[in-house]
Amino acid sequence: MFELDQGIADQLTEVSLNSSVQVRCGNSNSFMVTASTLIPLLQMFEMKGVYISASRGAAEVIQAFESVGIDVSQIQFIDLVSSGILGGTNVPYNNVHFVDSPIMLESILLRTLYILQTNQSERNFVFVDSVNALAIYNDDRMLAEYLHTFINTFRQQDVLSVILNVPDQTPPLVLSNLDLYCTDLVDRGQVVIH
Amino acid sequence: MQPVGMYSRDRCVTGVHGLDEILRGGIPYGSTVLAAGTCGSGKTTLGMEFLVRGANAGEACAHFTATEPSVKLLENIRQFGFFDMKMVDTGLINVFDMDVLYSWLGLEKSTFDLDDVHSLIKSIVDIVNTIGVTRLVIDSVTTLCYKIKSEQLIRDFLFTLGKKLATLGCTTILIAEITSATENAHWSSFGVEEAICDGIIVLGDIERMGHLLRFLQVVKMRGTSHSRAKHAIELTPLGVMLTPMLKWGAISDNINRWGS
Repeated sequence: MFELDQGIADQLTEVSLNSSVQVRCGNSNSFMVTASTLIPLLQMFEMKGVYISASRGAAEVIQAFESVGIDVSQIQFIDLVSSGILGGTNVPYNNVHFVDSPIMLESILLRTLYILQTNQSERNFVFVDSVNALAIYNDDRMLAEYLHTFINTFRQQDVLSVILNVPDQTPPLVLSNLDLYCTDLVDRGQVVIH
Repeated sequence: MQPVGMYSRDRCVTGVHGLDEILRGGIPYGSTVLAAGTCGSGKTTLGMEFLVRGANAGEACAHFTATEPSVKLLENIRQFGFFDMKMVDTGLINVFDMDVLYSWLGLEKSTFDLDDVHSLIKSIVDIVNTIGVTRLVIDSVTTLCYKIKSEQLIRDFLFTLGKKLATLGCTTILIAEITSATENAHWSSFGVEEAICDGIIVLGDIERMGHLLRFLQVVKMRGTSHSRAKHAIELTPLGVMLTPMLKWGAISDNINRWGS
């Protein structure tokens, strides 16, 4: 069992729909930080959203969320991992979409736009999990360019973008660009062990 | 706002997500546009969506299919949410098999001569005129031109067809099959289609680390300024969707992207 980080919910009350929030976490607290970000978006702000899953397969992410009581019915998942595993796309969830590879960056953007067009909600978020996972496959310059396009596309459409990253696994060029593009920072990158 | 003295041609709004922005409002009315692409690049879907968006606006549209039977074409296109079979049933979208047309005209032969070409042009123009077609797709002009053996005759065919359709106010997309859409490729199989047409839209694939990413690029469009950048495309149930291709990812892997 873990405790939600109430500070993240408090910080999210300060952002607007056209904000882009960089959420920094460490390896050990990434799930807690993700859950602490998603729960207020879904419950306090009653938003719908798209969760781009580059770290793990969407089915595994859904099971983890459901195990802590998060209702994911308002989230559409874009799974960038499972197509790379033979049989990986055979999942029992109808809110999972697949993109062949994390290298298909433009396809991820277009698939997200498509889902948002069919979402029937005026309050939407896009959650990228995570920049460091995308960095495994993509060149630094291309990823920096992509995040610039991605964030500005959704800002223009009044869709809140939440960009998760583990700073020490994210290329410095990408990290410094995120600092430049994002309007807000939730910094949980330093894990304090009591 | 237009600069003083600038004349802007009326546009045929394609309705395809992003394409009208690239074309600064749409295809100039009456244009003949070559949509040249490699296999599986989305040419037929683009052409059909162009017609569907027109039909949605109450325009009469026609599709001449030479690459696959109309029944098969309609079965394939039905999977897209933007397409409604009612458009065909109510006569807003009219689909013609070229094989049937050849049969009507007594053109069941492997090679067309000058008279055959004129007979074909006349029948297409008659159909367009009779139905009042304002959007036309011929899929594909390459298959059709295989029957016309001389380059001069192909040139005459396309030029005359384009001119007559423009007079009738019909905006036409000629779909062309090409084997490569790389930097040094021709935009047509016979080398003459690209010179005759008012516009050229190229569709192809970029290979990125073993994955094929579809792209669309407007190379030429007379009568309008337009973006000439490569755009990534996805074929979604809502239709074709476009976004500018990443500058650092717009070159295929077989060309040294990083310049080292």
